[in-house]
Amino acid sequence: MFKMIPAIIFAAMLSQNFILVQFLGICPFLGVSKNTKSAFGMGMAVTAVMFIATLITYPLYTYLLKPLGFDYMEIIVFIFVIASLVQVIEIILKKTSKSLYEAMGIYLPLITTNCAVLGVTELVLTSELVVTMLDACAYGLFGGLGFTLAIVLMSGMREKLDTVKVPKAFEGFPITMLLACFMAMAFSMF
Amino acid sequence: MYNLLDAQLTPVAHVLIVVGIMLVIALVFGFLIMVVSKKFAVDVDEREETVLGCLAGANCGGCGKAGCAALAHSLVEGKGEIDDCPVTDKKNKLKIAEILGVDYAGGGEFIYVVNCGGGINAKDRNDYLGESGCVRQSMVSGGRKFCSTACLGDGSCVSVCDNDAVSVIDGVAYIDTDKCIKCGKCARTCPKTLITKIPASAVVYVKCSTKCRGKEVMDACAKGCIGCGICAKNCAQKAITMVDNLPRVDYSKCVGCGYCVEKCPRKVFHFVDRTRDENRDKKG
Repeated sequence: MFKMIPAIIFAAMLSQNFILVQFLGICPFLGVSKNTKSAFGMGMAVTAVMFIATLITYPLYTYLLKPLGFDYMEIIVFIFVIASLVQVIEIILKKTSKSLYEAMGIYLPLITTNCAVLGVTELVLTSELVVTMLDACAYGLFGGLGFTLAIVLMSGMREKLDTVKVPKAFEGFPITMLLACFMAMAFSMF
Repeated sequence: MYNLLDAQLTPVAHVLIVVGIMLVIALVFGFLIMVVSKKFAVDVDEREETVLGCLAGANCGGCGKAGCAALAHSLVEGKGEIDDCPVTDKKNKLKIAEILGVDYAGGGEFIYVVNCGGGINAKDRNDYLGESGCVRQSMVSGGRKFCSTACLGDGSCVSVCDNDAVSVIDGVAYIDTDKCIKCGKCARTCPKTLITKIPASAVVYVKCSTKCRGKEVMDACAKGCIGCGICAKNCAQKAITMVDNLPRVDYSKCVGCGYCVEKCPRKVFHFVDRTRDENRDKKG
């Protein structure tokens, strides 16, 4: 039952990293990686949503849409589920943990349109690693952690970048793209 | 399970089923959100919205908060000051004070000044040959000057200013009050935190930030405050007190007579008005 889990952990976090190998969720990767603290907050929020989204969409697809023959509706249904989930999580967080809400608050609505979240719900349907419900949830969780890993690494480098002199033509965004390129190359070597 | 696609549905029935599935999911989640929002309802102070409506809405971050909504929140909670916002005009600030039921007389507008007059008068301890910018320079054992609170004049504040309001004159940053929009970026950037707020009505300010004693100051800088306290003794309004070897001006008492500017043996006191300041230099 658990034999696929190590393979899933390795694939979701490293060899099939959502940002650096599959190029999903590039927008927050470049937008929210200016400092490590907010990058970590964003990563954790994405991880939470990814996990809960897979938890709901996987059974929804396997036990409702697929048997009925409506599997082509997956995207619209999944987007629907993710958007509602983010809304629900935001409301609950606001009430239960004010500090966590303030730390994540601004990033939560952004996650609705984060393609990495939709990506994970779609990928678990086709990936050969995922057989059971448990696998799917593990893929969601560790995919999110892989996202966090990439965005935190990136933010650490961007913080360092602030203190070094960059050639005029590369200042600001271009050098960030180069950084992302080298990171992606490193991750593709798995 | 029964496969609906195999059942030779008419197109209309097919569409109806699709709509039906979406409708069911929509209802389930709609109900879920409704229940959750009822159960986890947070009491939001209604005044927050109205206060937010009165603020300038530029989201410039000049108050040091994440945006206007964050300032409105802290205002309602009583943690923030109305004058934290440099952009909102006086009419709206009075309106906010009325909503919150606090006393606000206005006149709390402020300007930014640089509390250092050193520059070419402050001696260098060593050369600095690294990349330009005070932020970088101050990382190397606090910059090249003897004085640890000296303006390095390397232009970090100049480069963050969007309005060309900051310039470096004789090795010291100078803020042009007419061009300054009071966003506070320079004050947050300065590694020595030499840029501070003073009331817009202020006439004089102290152009030094050193807390060192007289002798050390004499060795390091020709324009540094030696903490003699002559200004405090001579102020007729008792507006100046000595704190940590530095004069501190209580602007609510200061009448702007300029006697401190005249009396200071080290010419640490300056007029905010630049033409007046230059005229004094000529005389002295």
